[in-house]
Amino acid sequence: MTVASTFSRRSRASHGARERTDAAVQAVQIDLTGVTKRFVTPSGSMFTALRDVDLTIDAGQFCAVVGPTGCGKSTTLTMVAGLERPSAGTVRVGGQPVDGIAPGTSFMFQADALMPWKTVVGNVALGPVFRGVPKKEAQDRARDWLRRVGLAGFEDHHPHQLSGGMRKRVSLAAALINEPSILLMDEPFGALDVQTKAIMSDELLSLWDQSKPSVIFVTHDLEEAIALADKVVVMTAGPGTVKAVFDIDLPRPRGSVQEIRFGQRFTELHHEIWESLRDEVTRAYARTSAPASPVATVEEVRS
Amino acid sequence: MTRRKLAILVTQVVVLILVFGGWQLFTSLKIVDPFFFGQPSGIVRTAWQWVQHGTNQGSIWLQIYTTMEEAVFGFLIGVAAGIVVGVLLGQFRFLSEVLSPYIKAVNALPRIVLGALFVIVLGLGISSKIVLAAFLVFFVVFFNAYQGVREVDGNLVNNARVLGASRMQVIRNVVLPSAMTWIIASLHVAFGFAVIGAVVGEVLGAQHGLGVLITDSQNNFNTDGIFAGMIIIGLIALVAEWLISLLERRLLAWRPQMSSEASAV
Repeated sequence: MTVASTFSRRSRASHGARERTDAAVQAVQIDLTGVTKRFVTPSGSMFTALRDVDLTIDAGQFCAVVGPTGCGKSTTLTMVAGLERPSAGTVRVGGQPVDGIAPGTSFMFQADALMPWKTVVGNVALGPVFRGVPKKEAQDRARDWLRRVGLAGFEDHHPHQLSGGMRKRVSLAAALINEPSILLMDEPFGALDVQTKAIMSDELLSLWDQSKPSVIFVTHDLEEAIALADKVVVMTAGPGTVKAVFDIDLPRPRGSVQEIRFGQRFTELHHEIWESLRDEVTRAYARTSAPASPVATVEEVRS
Repeated sequence: MTRRKLAILVTQVVVLILVFGGWQLFTSLKIVDPFFFGQPSGIVRTAWQWVQHGTNQGSIWLQIYTTMEEAVFGFLIGVAAGIVVGVLLGQFRFLSEVLSPYIKAVNALPRIVLGALFVIVLGLGISSKIVLAAFLVFFVVFFNAYQGVREVDGNLVNNARVLGASRMQVIRNVVLPSAMTWIIASLHVAFGFAVIGAVVGEVLGAQHGLGVLITDSQNNFNTDGIFAGMIIIGLIALVAEWLISLLERRLLAWRPQMSSEASAV
């Protein structure tokens, strides 16, 4: 990852990486240039999910992506992860075009992606096991990570025996055990209640702070985005593209995400970003509530 | 044992007594002709005679052993082949689309008739029965395995891939365990088919086995013998069913307890 070191990185990012003794983690920059993604729908027509997305996430940066439902936020993540290829444009990670699944990337899915037949420790150990670490050592590392996310004592439970919040902790441990340089999160806390979500956000920030991977965090929740991120990207209603990028200049460490949102700067940022996001949400909503979109009707009248 | 379980057991015994008692009663009173419909006491006598003096084909245990051997080997081969082909076709879409019409065509055949062919090709020994049993089992397990593989949660597969799993690792760690629920469900039916394959194969031509015992009884107009053979096969199937349930409980121990099971406690 020599490419990554050529990029100017924030001093705290490199500092954080050095602090961790076992971490060979070096955050990398993510570049999306002119990325377009089209799908063929079952009826055979073409559907454009993303159009001309240009986006750069600096090494070690925490970037939140907000936008209305169906604007291609998740699609962006799958392309950075290498699970899908863009129809046009390029995705680069650390300067290299993404070609298949990259080893330094971890993905936290919206839905639980835990294997229900494996125990908690078995699930967390999967990453190292897949990468050829001996089972015993992988399990030891998994236990260590479970302790870090506060799940010591639940190693031998099965996922269905845990609460939603605990399952998210398991997912988080499973994603971080590979010590990723990139962490992709697709509305990871979307299904949690507000209190659990706040606690999980705090824990995510403190864990992120230890190794500082580059993060793309997709969410619906603007407050969550501002509280967590260095940078908030607003996407347009589908086909999605980048509408605006806002730098979040709130100081770190941020402390409790529950409290930070009462700060004055937070409110200002929230107001500013919401101004930009509101139009997109309204447009997306109009489209879902009215079967024939008003735009199309106008077009039809004209022709 | 809870009251509920006890009540179920008692009722089961009552049903058994009613059916066999009624059968015995009606045939004794000659309301029903025991020559055509057998008689429980006659069935027991025939079975006891088989145990004590052997059958026309030799010891009863040899007949049971032969049929079991055929059924079990056929079952194992059919299950293995069904899982392998089901997973392969579930994983490789191109392959499944190419083969799909052929599989449907073969499945629509009255497969039991192929037993006649196998007896000609493989002879009167156990191999023709094993092949017929395996053939019947294969389709049951194959369709379930295939469906199970297609139903695997795409999220789990993607998650494993991002975590660094190779294609084989995905199959071993995600696809197979996930399809296991489907596969196990098919095993209950599959063992029944294995026994059918073995017995029908024997009826079509063999030297030993419960099927031979049944045809021999038929040729002697011995209805009691036919029923006795049936009951022995039924008992074997019950034991096999119990073993498969044990396996199921072991392999699927991770599953959350079903609400119906929980309430029955």
